[in-house]
Amino acid sequence: MRDPLFPNTVVVAIRELRERVRGRAYRLATLFLVAVAVGITLAPIGLRAADQNTVSYIGVYAAEDDLAATHILFLEESLNTPPAGEDPDRWERPYRIERVATPDGAIAEVRSGRRSAALIVERTEDGGLDFAYHSRDVAPLRDATILLAAQSVSLLDWAEIVRGTSDVPPYHQPKLRTVNETLAQDGGQVVDQQLLASRFFLAVIFVVMIFVAILIYGMWVASSAAAEKGSRIMELLIAAASPLQLMLGKVAGTGLAGLVQYIAFLVPAAVVVVLQGRIEGFLFGSTGGGAPLAGVTLHILAAYGVFFVLGFLLYAFMYAAAGSIVSGLDDLQLLAMPMSLLPFIGCIAAILGLPAIGSPLVVFLSFVPFFSPFVMLARILVGRVQPWEVALSIGLLVVSIVIAAWLASRVYRAGVLIYGQRTSWRTFLRAAGLLPAG
Amino acid sequence: MSLVVDAVRKSFGSVTALDGVSFSVAPGSVFGYLGPNGAGKTTTMRILLGVLTPDGGEARWRDVPTRSVPRGTWGYLPEERGLYARMRVLDHLVFLARLYGIADDVARRDARAWLKRFRIADMEERRVGELSKGNQQKVQFIAALLHDPEVLLLDEPFTGLDPVNASLLRDAFTELRDAGRTLIFSTHVMENAEALCDAVAILDRGRIVTSGTVRDVRRTSGRQVVRLAVDGEDGGALAWLSALPGVTVTRPGRDFTEVVVGAGRDPQSLLLEAQARGERVLRFEIADPSLEHVFIDLVGRPIEDEAELHLASGGPTPDLADDGAERSSGARAEAGGEVA
Repeated sequence: MRDPLFPNTVVVAIRELRERVRGRAYRLATLFLVAVAVGITLAPIGLRAADQNTVSYIGVYAAEDDLAATHILFLEESLNTPPAGEDPDRWERPYRIERVATPDGAIAEVRSGRRSAALIVERTEDGGLDFAYHSRDVAPLRDATILLAAQSVSLLDWAEIVRGTSDVPPYHQPKLRTVNETLAQDGGQVVDQQLLASRFFLAVIFVVMIFVAILIYGMWVASSAAAEKGSRIMELLIAAASPLQLMLGKVAGTGLAGLVQYIAFLVPAAVVVVLQGRIEGFLFGSTGGGAPLAGVTLHILAAYGVFFVLGFLLYAFMYAAAGSIVSGLDDLQLLAMPMSLLPFIGCIAAILGLPAIGSPLVVFLSFVPFFSPFVMLARILVGRVQPWEVALSIGLLVVSIVIAAWLASRVYRAGVLIYGQRTSWRTFLRAAGLLPAG
Repeated sequence: MSLVVDAVRKSFGSVTALDGVSFSVAPGSVFGYLGPNGAGKTTTMRILLGVLTPDGGEARWRDVPTRSVPRGTWGYLPEERGLYARMRVLDHLVFLARLYGIADDVARRDARAWLKRFRIADMEERRVGELSKGNQQKVQFIAALLHDPEVLLLDEPFTGLDPVNASLLRDAFTELRDAGRTLIFSTHVMENAEALCDAVAILDRGRIVTSGTVRDVRRTSGRQVVRLAVDGEDGGALAWLSALPGVTVTRPGRDFTEVVVGAGRDPQSLLLEAQARGERVLRFEIADPSLEHVFIDLVGRPIEDEAELHLASGGPTPDLADDGAERSSGARAEAGGEVA
């Protein structure tokens, strides 16, 4: 074989990688991306810090006035006691504890987000107390405090009943029913609304990141090929290596440079995500179970990695072919817009499809190779996808990449020598071996 | 056991770039491939490299089709110079050598030796873009031969070199030939072709119009050059020569006059004519016409005109269709081609 893929593909790839990562623009862009990524992952903590200064509203329902007043008193003492050293007069109370008129009203207010939680107290037939605690966010310390206060009031209430009677009724162990109003039913399964919102958020972030990566790194490939034509070094290169070696090396080297940049900003971002709970615990004294990025799991990261790499490869070959048919970087600008259309459609389809992730159109698009890196990833994140569906989508994508690489290499080998003159499509396709010579 | 180009044809759309081109080059020789811009020289070189596939005919090196010959057989200096401007000189040379399978340390060592040979050793750590055009050309020449190819294909290697560097290059040519390498180069400088080549071929409009040893080609037309000087204040200016039938004054001068004498006229007749006119002849010299004369005779226009036409056309150089696209009598040429 005259032109085995190795080692020339590797030699070209290493040069591409080195030249790219040594560039000042690359390093500056990477530093900027690291800062942005860390900033985004720290944003939820920042929001929560800002939230520290906001007031949470807790509702208390009890049919008896005394009972309601006692509960409110206990909760005030438990939740709104200033920390040691704080001036009680100047300290801003974090909770507003109010009596509500009806249990249904209390629950409705929690569901609508007007209240963080509501405690509903019910007198039982045997004179004891039962409690229903409805909440909409995750605040373990607050929840434990409220439930402890309820227990205390229950004991106090029993003590009040037995005072002055010789016939002491047994203590009614109160029933504590906790309801998280962010849990909803979906297809017979309980879905954590907060987790779902987190997954939506992740889906948008991941899909946009793949789109931006394809656009930027794809243009790197195209501009590299166009620059080699423009500087005429292509003349030397095609004498030394086959167009397929040059194209694969270029895609691999640029892809690796992109991957290095990705890892450079994903690693610190991932570290922040992993440490989010500890950071929140350190800052606020509670864990960050409700952080918007809490939905990140290993299989989601793996899916993201697979669709990122495959999506990049598919589009990188197209960009390489585009870079080979223009005469220089100026002409490439004209191709940039049409080249970005396909990934743009995929990105938009994935984001707009999120609310209807199970619709036939979204499912169909998740198997179309140009769109599957976006749409299937979105389905994996927010929908329920069978393993065979993921396998089929990846399989179709891999087959498409092989076809795209073959086609791109034909275009590349014809395109790298075209300069200046107008070339008919028929002539070009013949030169690329895609039409019979005539 | 030589390089044989046998009836090679190549068209790009409606433009015929090569029309049955045939010639052969002996191993270990220097071969001049001459022709005006648009003649098809670059297309021929690309076919030899296997970059383009001929529509008909075949090119063989040591009886093997050139498309099947390992890439490392060839060293190529394209007419359009181009290097990675941001790469450092030594790294660049090593990178190109590694594409031909040369080990990193060997490439580094040999590159340094050649850089020293071409007097740019102190520039190995400089970025290519910081070098002068002449030095970039030397780097590119080194890149063409660093992997020690059997055949060097050099498209206008002397363009842009000052006399000192041109002399260095000529010395390198001779040394490489003596080492058994085969050199094929195109040039507009006929003096270089005459001085360096064992054989030449002149290509015009995709066809070989003459080929052979330099001496044979110079004698192709049957014309001869006569240089004549007579005694007197203006001994080189002999106005009467231009009036003679079959005689063309090519260089009227103060010291001597040079004329080309047509095939039907005996050069000795000029000496007789001078004596008949009572001139005291100081110098009378008969020589074969220069390659430049032959070139003008066969191609019909001097090389300088071709170069000026090329520059005046502006814009990017048509390349895939090679210079052949320029021959399309003003029509935009279609271009196409394939790269192996």
